[in-house]
Amino acid sequence: MEASSDAAIVARVLRGDAEAFRGLVDRYRDQYARYALHMLGNQEDAEEALQDAFTRAYRALPRCEDPERFGAWLFRILVNRCRTAGTRRGRRARTFVADEAALLGASEEHPEDRAAWREEIDRAVHRLRPEQREAFLLKYVEELGYDEMSQLTGVGVSALKMRVMRACERLRDLLSEVHSA
Amino acid sequence: MRDDDIVNFDEIARELRKPVRVNRSFNERVMDSVLRLPRHARARLWKRLTTPRTVTITPLVWGLAAASLLLFASLGVIHAKEDLHRAAQPIAKALFATPVAATSRAQSVQFVLVAPDAKKVAVVGDFNGWDASHVAYQAQQRGGGVWSVTAPVPVGHHRYSFVVDDSLWVADPTAPRVIDTDYGLPNSAIVVEDDK
Repeated sequence: MEASSDAAIVARVLRGDAEAFRGLVDRYRDQYARYALHMLGNQEDAEEALQDAFTRAYRALPRCEDPERFGAWLFRILVNRCRTAGTRRGRRARTFVADEAALLGASEEHPEDRAAWREEIDRAVHRLRPEQREAFLLKYVEELGYDEMSQLTGVGVSALKMRVMRACERLRDLLSEVHSA
Repeated sequence: MRDDDIVNFDEIARELRKPVRVNRSFNERVMDSVLRLPRHARARLWKRLTTPRTVTITPLVWGLAAASLLLFASLGVIHAKEDLHRAAQPIAKALFATPVAATSRAQSVQFVLVAPDAKKVAVVGDFNGWDASHVAYQAQQRGGGVWSVTAPVPVGHHRYSFVVDDSLWVADPTAPRVIDTDYGLPNSAIVVEDDK
């Protein structure tokens, strides 16, 4: 059976079928949890920001001008929630590394080395300045173009390019240190 | 020289794109919070009902409108007598959403709505996170279909609304209406001024 489109689910929710919203949660939860986790650095904050984004999206659903692109609209809300959460709280203990290691356990070659390398990547990403981390994740992980990033963040393309460049330089320094250690 | 063989950004991106684990209870937590919010259908109905449009006024409708105005006015007099200590407020602050006591940063504001058929009335606004379940903003029935609650509101400009029976958003009929920019629902405006 063909899955309902975002627009079809949004229409059902706006007709009063609040339970239909669950379909949108299922559809975007994992992908957006990944972004929140990389931005905020721990599972608890990430899930809280994502839950907040979903709740805000539900409340503001009548304002979603293009329901077919609900996902993009929700992502914009999430990016803002992550910014707010990042400035409001100090970083809590990172708890996702163990989960990541579990996910990487099936890796076919040198799983321990690979898990350790992944942990170094996470650590380096979280040592970036928040605005650089945001730009790097949007560009490299979410694979957005600079124009899309600019629309999403409200930051100019030139500034975003600079942030990505600085992020790459910093990551290169941090990860090279690990390799040379 | 940079060691790009070691630090490969495509490889880093591939690692970071791998799935993450979300707590099993996540969906239920989201849906719990969503299902506590007013459903959209009735809000949209209310929005349609409150959208400006051309209507034909008959003498009967004029009569009903006049009677409603008289009812609101008389209720206002009753409340004014109950709160004789209350300082007179500018009309822009709304007749029924009226600051009645002051602190340094917030004022107690009385919100009143006439809703004879309601089983529950709450006040939501930017001052309580638009939370219809907020304990301090649950209105009590005062008789004659009148619901009211006195609750703290920070000094400043605010938007608010009533939520009737957890589902119907109702703007304060006596307060200035504001163009909604958040949720597509009817909002009213209030200005709470510091006494100092």
